[in-house]
Amino acid sequence: MSAAILETRNLCMSFGALEVARGVNFRLERGARHALIGPNGAGKTTFVNLLTGLLRPSRGSVLLEGEDVTALAQAKRVKRGISRTFQINQLFRGLTVQENVGIAVSERLGVGGSMLRPAGKRADVIAEASRLIEMLKLGEDAGRRVAELPYGRQRLVEIAIALGLNPRVLLLDEPAAGIPSAESHILLDAIATLPAEIAVLIIEHDMDLVFRFAERITVLVSGAILAEGAPAEIAVNREVRSVYLGSALDA
Amino acid sequence: MSAALELTRRHQLKWWEALPWIVALAAFLAFPTYLAFGTQLLITILFALSLDLVLGYAGIVTLGHAAFFGAGAYTAGMMAMHWGWNEPISGLFAAALVAGAIGLASGLVLLRTHGLTLLMLTLCTMALLEQAANMGAAWTGGFDGMPGLSFGKILGLFGFDVLYFRSQYLYVLAVLFLCFVIVRTLVYSSFGQSLTGIRENVLRMHAVGAPVRARQVLVYTVSAALAGVAGALFTQATGYANLAVLGLERSAGVLIVLILGGYGRLYGAFVGAVAYMLIEDVLAKAYPTAWQLGLGLTLIAVALFARNGVIGLFDALRRRLAGAAR
Repeated sequence: MSAAILETRNLCMSFGALEVARGVNFRLERGARHALIGPNGAGKTTFVNLLTGLLRPSRGSVLLEGEDVTALAQAKRVKRGISRTFQINQLFRGLTVQENVGIAVSERLGVGGSMLRPAGKRADVIAEASRLIEMLKLGEDAGRRVAELPYGRQRLVEIAIALGLNPRVLLLDEPAAGIPSAESHILLDAIATLPAEIAVLIIEHDMDLVFRFAERITVLVSGAILAEGAPAEIAVNREVRSVYLGSALDA
Repeated sequence: MSAALELTRRHQLKWWEALPWIVALAAFLAFPTYLAFGTQLLITILFALSLDLVLGYAGIVTLGHAAFFGAGAYTAGMMAMHWGWNEPISGLFAAALVAGAIGLASGLVLLRTHGLTLLMLTLCTMALLEQAANMGAAWTGGFDGMPGLSFGKILGLFGFDVLYFRSQYLYVLAVLFLCFVIVRTLVYSSFGQSLTGIRENVLRMHAVGAPVRARQVLVYTVSAALAGVAGALFTQATGYANLAVLGLERSAGVLIVLILGGYGRLYGAFVGAVAYMLIEDVLAKAYPTAWQLGLGLTLIAVALFARNGVIGLFDALRRRLAGAAR
């Protein structure tokens, strides 16, 4: 079996007595469209934080293309291609959309610490940021401060920033959270048109979105993987239905 | 105008950016008797500008910025007093070096913290320096400080001591201009943009892979060095340095200047310093015993009605006019 783009081996993490990851063995394949679902408190966001390096596991390892990155800090993992969005928007609220994305692109191109040349003369950064902004259909808001945008548009800025880092692995932590259902199709469109070579792991409660998007689903319950498989398999999995999906799929 | 286009133009010089310098030169010609006051004003602007870099742009809240002003003031003073080194320009470089080094050393420790802890630690740094200056009397003159210092000619040409107000004013103005060019270059650079990113959201800045701590320490060091230059100018212009250069009052004063003018906007330091010193001057003459009450009331008004300071008011007015014109 070839190395997965991202893999965890026996990943364990506890906050005091509370075990939030219990020996998670997980594989994210190249170019995958993978969903991670589970009830509230299952440890999904913790899992993402372990993958990005925001948290360190108490045991186990994280591998990027077969290489152990467990000891690497978040910034180093970002440089190697792991990028994420947050469950609750983490944006530069006082800055424009253009600047928000531009900051990410500057860091990726390694010019974020450049002290002499004006940011406005970085044609490559500006062009790349503009391209991503157009891709997510944020063009008409590019000059507006993020704080002035409706929440749904802000969610798209989160994705634009993550893409600005040119990721090989994109972790989307509840991208649809807080978006009115009438607007969620914009987000779905955005996710559907992500470049195919990027492996995407999505955490989401919106089952409609999950089943439309994912080619593979992992179910996490109490920090451990309960089931994994194609959407059709998960939908009929008895354990999953009883623990998590409940009546949502019966309807 | 598209956002990308707006960004490519932001760093370009605007016509009104010449105003402060024209005003400063006009004041030189128009008010020859006020040049000592003017010199102090220019020094305050430089000090506030250095604070704007850390507070307004990088979002590092500090109450101890006078530590660096004081470090610069004492460096220039002690060099003149003990070594007879009174060449002004090299004195500025030495002050920048010493203040920058203190900024670097304290920043490496302090900037591991944030919020109230950081605020308290900046105060502690300043208190430590203040006590060092107080107790190291053999070097610093202790409580009495170092009075009666004299400095050499600027570039060996222009006489420079407390009686030469004209050359003093122009000298300080030139130094302010050079330091302003440095600050302006920094804030419009990618580095400056990343500082605003750190101010707006540290968590996200980490998540885009930025070396957040290193950037903070770097800007803290640069800011400290600039504050040190302001302090050295103070010593050179007044011919003395004492404990008042690094007390809480000076730290709080420069903070008020920046709040009055508007922080994170480059020119807030200019407007704020003028506003602060005019208020101080006018009120102190009218109510010698209670002028700080007036300052307090002004601050309350700013906090309530002009969160972004005087410059913020201008911005709001300009937006409103642009809106009405449309």
